Amino acid sequence: MVNKIKVENLSCYYNKKCVLESLNINVVQNEILSVIGPASSGKTTFLRTLNRMNDLDITYSRKGDVYLDDNNIFDMKMESLRKRVGMLFAMPIPLPMSIYENIIYAPKRLGLITRESYQDTIVEQALKDASLWNEVKDRLNSSATRMSGGQQQRLCIARILAVNPEVILFDEPCSGLDPVSTAKVEESMLELKQKYTIVLVTNNVKQASRVSDRTAFFLMGKLVEIDKTARLFVSPKEKATEDYITGRFG
Amino acid sequence: MRKSLDAVIETLIFICGMLSIVFVVLIFGFLFKEGFAFFKDFGVLKFITGQFWYPSSEPASFGILPLILGSVLVAVGACLIAVPIGIMTALFISEIAPKGVRDVLKSLVELMAAIPSIVIGFVGMVTVVPLVKNIFNLSTGLTAFAGAIMLAFMAIPTIVTISEDAIRSVPWQYKEGALALGATKWQTIRRIVLKAAMPGIIAAIMLGIGRVIGETMAVMMITGNAAHIPRSIFDPVRTMTATIAAEMGETVRGGMHYRSLFAIGLVLFIITFIVNFTADLFLGKKKNR
Ligand SMILES: Nc1ncnc2c1ncn2[C@@H]1O[C@H](COP(=O)(O)OP(=O)(O)OP(=O)(O)O)[C@@H](O)[C@H]1O
Ligand SMILES: [Mg+2]
Repeated sequence: MVNKIKVENLSCYYNKKCVLESLNINVVQNEILSVIGPASSGKTTFLRTLNRMNDLDITYSRKGDVYLDDNNIFDMKMESLRKRVGMLFAMPIPLPMSIYENIIYAPKRLGLITRESYQDTIVEQALKDASLWNEVKDRLNSSATRMSGGQQQRLCIARILAVNPEVILFDEPCSGLDPVSTAKVEESMLELKQKYTIVLVTNNVKQASRVSDRTAFFLMGKLVEIDKTARLFVSPKEKATEDYITGRFG
Repeated sequence: MRKSLDAVIETLIFICGMLSIVFVVLIFGFLFKEGFAFFKDFGVLKFITGQFWYPSSEPASFGILPLILGSVLVAVGACLIAVPIGIMTALFISEIAPKGVRDVLKSLVELMAAIPSIVIGFVGMVTVVPLVKNIFNLSTGLTAFAGAIMLAFMAIPTIVTISEDAIRSVPWQYKEGALALGATKWQTIRRIVLKAAMPGIIAAIMLGIGRVIGETMAVMMITGNAAHIPRSIFDPVRTMTATIAAEMGETVRGGMHYRSLFAIGLVLFIITFIVNFTADLFLGKKKNR
């Protein structure tokens, strides 16, 4: 068990108001760690701290440290951190360009393409890994905004894969999707964990139990409990956890 | 009672709407009538390509090529100055400036839009004109270049305000998506924000140009008013609008010279119509997305 991410005493604030309190949590290499908890419990704040998306928000401040492979992420250059830690948002919004350009956009900006001829390979591989290739291979040059919601979400996964990150953060990736599309996204997550480390924030408790290796339960900015998914769902240690996963909460 | 009031108001609104249409049609009609009467006597081609504007010599020559070139030179010069400055200001306001600076800048730009053009012309005449004369070592500072600078001042507020709207209406998810992939802030602005806002920015430029081409007083004061074909941007020029404004008072009603000025108006109208139409095309495209 290698720890990919170590979070030490992390507290986060918006306008000085504490929304995440002295969090200590590790993410193991090649696992899917799901984070569950009621609304406003700080799940998104946690994710957006891991790739420093929240640094853009001037009302946000934090204390504590986060290590990626023993390097403090707050000492890294933001762009190189985000290349290593990709993030998928709840609302899948492709960039306003073609499917092909969406995927090649980031590799180009990051200078990952050494030769023109690699482009097609990168696009094909990313789409295959996101199990989208068969559906779009004949219309790579059509606009990405004209795809179905499920396809857009998988395109957003593909464009993250194209920069070959180490960690992928999912923030409620299936909240707007139908069961079939959800199943497809879950399928590709299980596939992806061979190569990547995944943190999945989800409002869907069943989804956490289906795909994740470990589950963490957040409540009002605090980590209540973290354990192997199989164990947490069968015999949670805390009463609050049990209430939440059995749907008796609030 | 309620119902009849509704009917009255509706009729009133209808009449007002119709009136504005009638006015526009009347103006067009007048312009076309006088303009075409002139074309019949003088010939369209000779009018547009003629190199000499001697409306009161004997025989008179009504070639507006120098006037068209004057207008184009000043307008193009103004755009070359106003477009980069305008777009960069818009980007600065919407993407880079901290909130306090942004608010101040926005009100300043709005204030700039409210300055009457005659004031801009007047200030330009006593500041920019001597400056241009000294810097470029010219015999006179009253040149197309000085006119272009002052017109750029007038176009910048339009370009800034509308571009800034377009830039701000780019969904923040685009920006966030690009940043989350590791793009730098500047890459995101250039490749995503500017690209998505482009239809709006082009419309802003077109409306800015529209304002510049139709402008009269300021250019009349600053460009030197010489109706000959300019050899460079540092020559005095005369624009179409300035010609109409300056000469309308001296013409004999219904005469050849009088009609020729309407014909210039017609040419001007066609040019601004094309510019506005192009702007509408781009604005429409933005809305349909
Ligand atoms: N940008 C922001 N500015 C100010 N407060 C914020 C901001 N984002 C989140 N908050 C506040 O921080 C707290 C935690 O929010 P967060 O989005 O992390 O919760 P969450 O667990 O993701 O909730 P949900 O399940 O509804 O997505 C909430 O009280 C929220 O109102
Ligand atoms: Mg959330």
